[in-house]
Amino acid sequence: MGAPEQPKQQEPGTEEIKRNPTLDNIQQLGQVNTPSGESNLFCLTIIGQVEGHMVLPPQNKTTKYEHIIPQLVAAEQNPKIEGVLIILNTVGGDVEAGLAIAEMIATLSKPTVTLVLGGGHSIGVPIAVSADHSIIAETATMTIHPIRLNGLVIGVPQTFEYLDKMQERVVRFVTRHSQVTEEKFKELMFTTGELTRDIGTTVIGGDAVKYGLIKQVGGIGEAIKELNRRIEERKQQMNGGGFVQ
Amino acid sequence: MIHYSVVPMDVVFAGMENFVPSYIDIEHGGVSMQVEPLNGYQARIVRLISGNPQHYLDGRYAPGTIINFSPAL
Repeated sequence: MGAPEQPKQQEPGTEEIKRNPTLDNIQQLGQVNTPSGESNLFCLTIIGQVEGHMVLPPQNKTTKYEHIIPQLVAAEQNPKIEGVLIILNTVGGDVEAGLAIAEMIATLSKPTVTLVLGGGHSIGVPIAVSADHSIIAETATMTIHPIRLNGLVIGVPQTFEYLDKMQERVVRFVTRHSQVTEEKFKELMFTTGELTRDIGTTVIGGDAVKYGLIKQVGGIGEAIKELNRRIEERKQQMNGGGFVQ
Repeated sequence: MIHYSVVPMDVVFAGMENFVPSYIDIEHGGVSMQVEPLNGYQARIVRLISGNPQHYLDGRYAPGTIINFSPAL
Protein backbone atom coordinates (compact mmCIF):
# COMPACT_ATOMS: atom_id res chain seq x y z
CA MET A 1 0.00 0.00 0.00
CA GLY A 2 1.60 3.18 -1.14
CA ALA A 3 -0.59 5.44 0.97
CA PRO A 4 1.42 8.11 2.77
CA GLU A 5 1.38 7.69 6.53
CA GLN A 6 0.87 11.26 7.59
CA PRO A 7 -0.03 14.20 5.45
CA LYS A 8 2.37 17.03 6.08
CA GLN A 9 0.08 20.00 6.16
CA GLN A 10 0.33 21.90 9.40
CA GLU A 11 3.82 22.97 10.22
CA PRO A 12 3.82 24.86 13.48
CA GLY A 13 4.43 28.52 12.64
CA THR A 14 7.54 29.00 14.64
CA GLU A 15 10.06 30.36 12.21
CA GLU A 16 9.48 34.08 12.67
CA ILE A 17 12.26 34.73 15.14
CA LYS A 18 15.84 34.47 13.98
CA ARG A 19 17.30 33.79 17.39
CA ASN A 20 19.23 30.87 18.67
CA PRO A 21 16.97 29.19 21.24
CA THR A 22 19.80 27.06 22.62
CA LEU A 23 21.93 30.11 23.24
CA ASP A 24 18.95 31.81 24.90
CA ASN A 25 18.48 28.84 27.17
CA ILE A 26 22.10 28.85 28.23
CA GLN A 27 21.97 32.57 28.96
CA GLN A 28 18.68 32.53 30.81
CA LEU A 29 18.46 29.16 32.48
CA GLY A 30 22.04 27.94 32.46
CA GLN A 31 21.03 24.77 30.69
CA VAL A 32 20.61 23.37 27.24
CA ASN A 33 17.40 21.77 26.14
CA THR A 34 17.83 18.23 25.02
CA PRO A 35 16.84 17.91 21.38
CA SER A 36 13.16 17.06 21.34
CA GLY A 37 12.31 18.14 17.83
CA GLU A 38 11.72 14.70 16.38
CA SER A 39 9.75 13.05 19.17
CA ASN A 40 6.36 11.68 18.23
CA LEU A 41 5.29 11.92 21.87
CA PHE A 42 4.09 14.96 23.70
CA CYS A 43 5.02 14.95 27.37
CA LEU A 44 2.77 16.99 29.59
CA THR A 45 3.81 17.55 33.18
CA ILE A 46 1.30 18.48 35.84
CA ILE A 47 3.19 19.60 38.91
CA GLY A 48 2.53 21.53 42.11
CA GLN A 49 -0.83 23.24 42.42
CA VAL A 50 -3.26 23.14 39.56
CA GLU A 51 -3.93 26.85 39.15
CA GLY A 52 -7.43 27.79 38.17
CA HIS A 53 -9.37 31.02 38.32
CA MET A 54 -7.03 32.68 40.78
CA VAL A 55 -3.37 33.48 40.27
CA LEU A 56 -1.67 31.93 43.27
CA PRO A 57 1.07 33.75 45.21
CA PRO A 58 4.60 33.04 43.99
CA GLN A 59 5.55 30.55 46.75
CA ASN A 60 3.35 28.03 44.93
CA LYS A 61 4.70 26.00 42.10
CA THR A 62 1.78 25.87 39.72
CA THR A 63 0.46 24.23 36.60
CA LYS A 64 -1.45 26.82 34.64
CA TYR A 65 -4.50 25.29 33.11
CA GLU A 66 -4.91 28.01 30.50
CA HIS A 67 -1.60 26.83 29.08
CA ILE A 68 -2.29 23.10 29.38
CA ILE A 69 -5.64 23.22 27.59
CA PRO A 70 -4.35 24.76 24.30
CA GLN A 71 -1.33 22.43 24.52
CA LEU A 72 -3.71 19.50 24.47
CA VAL A 73 -5.59 21.06 21.57
CA ALA A 74 -2.28 21.42 19.73
CA ALA A 75 -1.31 17.84 20.55
CA GLU A 76 -4.59 16.59 19.16
CA GLN A 77 -4.25 18.68 16.02
CA ASN A 78 -0.53 18.34 15.28
CA PRO A 79 0.00 15.35 12.95
CA LYS A 80 3.58 14.88 14.20
CA ILE A 81 2.35 14.04 17.69
CA GLU A 82 1.15 10.46 17.92
CA GLY A 83 0.75 9.99 21.64
CA VAL A 84 0.56 11.99 24.86
CA LEU A 85 2.36 11.10 28.08
CA ILE A 86 1.08 12.88 31.17
CA ILE A 87 3.37 12.94 34.17
CA LEU A 88 1.76 13.88 37.44
CA ASN A 89 3.26 15.10 40.65
CA THR A 90 0.58 17.36 41.98
CA VAL A 91 -0.81 18.31 45.37
CA GLY A 92 -4.21 19.20 43.95
CA GLY A 93 -5.71 22.59 43.26
CA ASP A 94 -8.71 24.11 41.60
CA VAL A 95 -11.58 21.69 41.01
CA GLU A 96 -12.79 23.33 37.81
CA ALA A 97 -9.32 23.53 36.30
CA GLY A 98 -8.44 19.99 37.31
CA LEU A 99 -11.64 18.54 35.89
CA ALA A 100 -11.17 20.59 32.72
CA ILE A 101 -7.72 19.08 32.19
CA ALA A 102 -9.03 15.60 33.00
CA GLU A 103 -11.89 15.92 30.52
CA MET A 104 -9.51 17.17 27.83
CA ILE A 105 -7.18 14.20 28.33
CA ALA A 106 -10.09 11.74 28.42
CA THR A 107 -11.47 12.98 25.11
CA LEU A 108 -8.18 13.07 23.14
CA SER A 109 -8.35 10.70 20.19
CA LYS A 110 -4.61 9.98 20.34
CA PRO A 111 -3.28 7.38 22.78
CA THR A 112 -2.67 8.76 26.27
CA VAL A 113 -0.85 7.33 29.28
CA THR A 114 -0.60 8.92 32.71
CA LEU A 115 2.26 8.27 35.08
CA VAL A 116 1.88 9.24 38.72
CA LEU A 117 5.26 9.99 40.27
CA GLY A 118 5.61 11.24 43.81
CA GLY A 119 2.04 12.27 44.31
CA GLY A 120 -1.26 12.69 42.57
CA HIS A 121 -3.43 14.07 45.33
CA SER A 122 -6.94 15.48 45.53
CA ILE A 123 -7.84 16.89 42.10
CA GLY A 124 -4.82 14.99 40.75
CA VAL A 125 -6.84 11.78 41.15
CA PRO A 126 -9.31 12.47 38.30
CA ILE A 127 -6.41 13.63 36.11
CA ALA A 128 -4.51 10.43 36.90
CA VAL A 129 -7.38 8.19 35.81
CA SER A 130 -8.36 10.23 32.75
CA ALA A 131 -5.99 8.63 30.23
CA ASP A 132 -6.37 5.39 28.25
CA HIS A 133 -3.83 3.77 30.53
CA SER A 134 -2.60 4.80 33.96
CA ILE A 135 0.61 3.86 35.75
CA ILE A 136 1.73 4.64 39.27
CA ALA A 137 5.26 4.48 40.64
CA GLU A 138 5.68 2.06 43.51
CA THR A 139 6.41 4.86 45.97
CA ALA A 140 3.89 7.37 44.62
CA THR A 141 0.90 8.34 46.73
CA MET A 142 -2.60 9.55 46.05
CA THR A 143 -4.62 11.22 48.77
CA ILE A 144 -8.35 10.78 48.45
CA HIS A 145 -10.25 13.11 50.75
CA PRO A 146 -13.47 15.14 50.75
CA ILE A 147 -13.77 18.55 49.13
CA ARG A 148 -14.06 21.51 51.47
CA LEU A 149 -15.54 24.92 50.97
CA ASN A 150 -13.39 27.97 51.49
CA GLY A 151 -14.32 31.58 51.95
CA LEU A 152 -17.63 32.58 53.46
CA VAL A 153 -19.65 29.51 54.33
CA ILE A 154 -23.28 29.85 55.33
CA GLY A 155 -24.39 27.27 57.85
CA VAL A 156 -27.48 26.06 56.03
CA PRO A 157 -28.33 22.60 54.66
CA GLN A 158 -28.04 23.98 51.12
CA THR A 159 -24.31 24.52 51.68
CA PHE A 160 -23.87 20.85 52.32
CA GLU A 161 -25.95 19.95 49.29
CA TYR A 162 -23.83 22.21 47.10
CA LEU A 163 -20.65 20.68 48.45
CA ASP A 164 -22.01 17.21 47.90
CA LYS A 165 -22.82 18.10 44.30
CA MET A 166 -19.29 19.38 43.68
CA GLN A 167 -17.86 16.25 45.21
CA GLU A 168 -20.13 14.10 43.11
CA ARG A 169 -18.53 15.56 39.96
CA VAL A 170 -15.14 14.24 41.05
CA VAL A 171 -16.51 10.88 42.22
CA ARG A 172 -18.44 10.37 39.01
CA PHE A 173 -15.47 11.22 36.81
CA VAL A 174 -13.14 8.87 38.71
CA THR A 175 -15.56 5.94 38.76
CA ARG A 176 -16.36 6.39 35.07
CA HIS A 177 -12.71 6.40 34.02
CA SER A 178 -11.31 3.71 36.30
CA GLN A 179 -12.21 0.34 37.72
CA VAL A 180 -12.91 1.62 41.23
CA THR A 181 -16.51 1.37 42.37
CA GLU A 182 -18.36 4.33 43.78
CA GLU A 183 -18.77 2.58 47.14
CA LYS A 184 -15.06 1.85 47.40
CA PHE A 185 -14.03 5.36 46.33
CA LYS A 186 -16.38 6.98 48.83
CA GLU A 187 -15.20 4.60 51.51
CA LEU A 188 -11.60 5.70 50.84
CA MET A 189 -12.70 9.32 50.81
CA PHE A 190 -14.43 9.21 54.17
CA THR A 191 -12.07 6.96 56.14
CA THR A 192 -11.18 8.34 59.53
CA GLY A 193 -8.02 7.72 61.50
CA GLU A 194 -5.72 7.45 58.52
CA LEU A 195 -4.78 11.07 57.84
CA THR A 196 -3.56 13.19 60.72
CA ARG A 197 -5.34 16.41 59.90
CA ASP A 198 -8.15 15.24 57.69
CA ILE A 199 -10.43 12.37 56.84
CA GLY A 200 -9.62 10.28 53.80
CA THR A 201 -6.99 7.81 52.71
CA THR A 202 -3.47 7.89 51.36
CA VAL A 203 -3.19 5.23 48.70
CA ILE A 204 0.35 4.13 47.91
CA GLY A 205 1.56 2.53 44.67
CA GLY A 206 0.22 -1.01 44.52
CA ASP A 207 -2.83 -0.17 46.66
CA ALA A 208 -4.06 2.20 43.94
CA VAL A 209 -3.93 -0.74 41.54
CA LYS A 210 -5.60 -3.04 44.06
CA TYR A 211 -8.56 -0.65 44.47
CA GLY A 212 -8.89 -0.37 40.69
CA LEU A 213 -7.99 3.32 40.54
CA ILE A 214 -4.82 2.87 38.51
CA LYS A 215 -4.13 0.08 36.03
CA GLN A 216 -0.49 -0.77 36.69
CA VAL A 217 2.52 -0.17 38.93
CA GLY A 218 5.56 0.91 36.99
CA GLY A 219 7.76 3.72 35.80
CA ILE A 220 8.77 5.60 32.72
CA GLY A 221 9.87 2.45 30.88
CA GLU A 222 6.45 0.85 31.21
CA ALA A 223 4.74 4.12 30.34
CA ILE A 224 6.64 4.62 27.08
CA LYS A 225 6.28 0.96 26.18
CA GLU A 226 2.52 1.05 26.70
CA LEU A 227 2.20 4.30 24.78
CA ASN A 228 4.21 2.96 21.85
CA ARG A 229 2.12 -0.20 21.84
CA ARG A 230 -1.08 1.85 21.69
CA ILE A 231 0.33 4.08 18.94
CA GLU A 232 1.17 1.00 16.86
CA GLU A 233 -2.27 -0.42 17.48
CA ARG A 234 -3.94 2.82 16.41
CA LYS A 235 -1.81 3.03 13.26
CA GLN A 236 -2.77 -0.49 12.29
CA GLN A 237 -6.42 0.19 12.95
CA MET A 238 -6.33 3.28 10.79
CA ASN A 239 -4.50 1.57 7.96
CA GLY A 240 -6.85 -1.40 8.22
CA GLY A 241 -9.81 0.92 8.06
CA GLY A 242 -8.53 2.18 4.72
CA PHE A 243 -7.94 5.79 5.66
CA VAL A 244 -5.16 7.91 6.94
CA GLN A 245 -5.52 10.74 9.37
CA MET B 1 -13.79 28.56 43.22
CA ILE B 2 -13.31 25.35 45.13
CA HIS B 3 -9.83 24.49 46.17
CA TYR B 4 -9.22 20.75 46.46
CA SER B 5 -5.71 20.10 47.66
CA VAL B 6 -3.72 18.36 50.36
CA VAL B 7 -1.82 21.58 51.01
CA PRO B 8 -3.62 23.63 53.70
CA MET B 9 -5.45 26.64 52.36
CA ASP B 10 -3.54 29.14 54.53
CA VAL B 11 -0.25 27.89 53.11
CA VAL B 12 -1.43 28.13 49.50
CA PHE B 13 -2.86 31.62 49.88
CA ALA B 14 -0.19 33.01 52.22
CA GLY B 15 0.91 36.44 51.09
CA MET B 16 -2.12 36.88 48.87
CA GLU B 17 -2.79 40.39 50.26
CA ASN B 18 0.70 41.59 49.34
CA PHE B 19 0.72 39.88 45.98
CA VAL B 20 0.18 42.65 43.44
CA PRO B 21 1.65 41.52 40.15
CA SER B 22 1.97 44.03 37.35
CA TYR B 23 1.29 42.39 34.04
CA ILE B 24 1.09 43.90 30.60
CA ASP B 25 -0.15 42.50 27.32
CA ILE B 26 2.29 42.59 24.42
CA GLU B 27 2.92 40.92 21.13
CA HIS B 28 6.27 39.22 20.74
CA GLY B 29 7.34 37.41 17.59
CA GLY B 30 3.77 37.33 16.33
CA VAL B 31 2.43 35.78 19.54
CA SER B 32 0.26 37.81 21.87
CA MET B 33 1.06 37.25 25.49
CA GLN B 34 0.85 38.62 28.97
CA VAL B 35 4.22 39.41 30.49
CA GLU B 36 5.64 40.71 33.72
CA PRO B 37 8.27 43.36 32.97
CA LEU B 38 11.43 42.68 34.98
CA ASN B 39 13.55 45.68 34.01
CA GLY B 40 13.96 47.96 31.06
CA TYR B 41 14.76 45.27 28.58
CA GLN B 42 13.50 41.95 29.88
CA ALA B 43 10.14 40.47 30.74
CA ARG B 44 8.90 37.14 32.02
CA ILE B 45 6.07 35.42 30.17
CA VAL B 46 3.02 34.92 32.36
CA ARG B 47 0.65 33.40 29.83
CA LEU B 48 0.01 33.30 26.12
CA ILE B 49 -3.13 34.80 24.65
CA SER B 50 -2.81 33.29 21.23
CA GLY B 51 -5.45 31.61 19.15
CA ASN B 52 -2.91 29.33 17.49
CA PRO B 53 -2.64 26.17 19.60
CA GLN B 54 0.79 25.35 18.13
CA HIS B 55 2.25 28.41 19.89
CA TYR B 56 1.57 26.68 23.19
CA LEU B 57 3.88 23.81 22.23
CA ASP B 58 6.76 26.17 21.46
CA GLY B 59 9.25 26.00 24.32
CA ARG B 60 10.38 29.55 23.63
CA TYR B 61 7.00 30.85 24.76
CA ALA B 62 6.48 28.65 27.82
CA PRO B 63 5.29 30.61 30.86
CA GLY B 64 8.26 31.65 32.98
CA THR B 65 10.55 32.16 30.00
CA ILE B 66 12.40 35.46 30.02
CA ILE B 67 12.20 37.35 26.77
CA ASN B 68 13.95 40.44 25.53
CA PHE B 69 11.46 43.19 25.45
CA SER B 70 11.49 46.92 25.85
CA PRO B 71 8.25 48.82 26.31
CA ALA B 72 7.47 51.31 23.58
CA LEU B 73 7.81 54.75 25.12
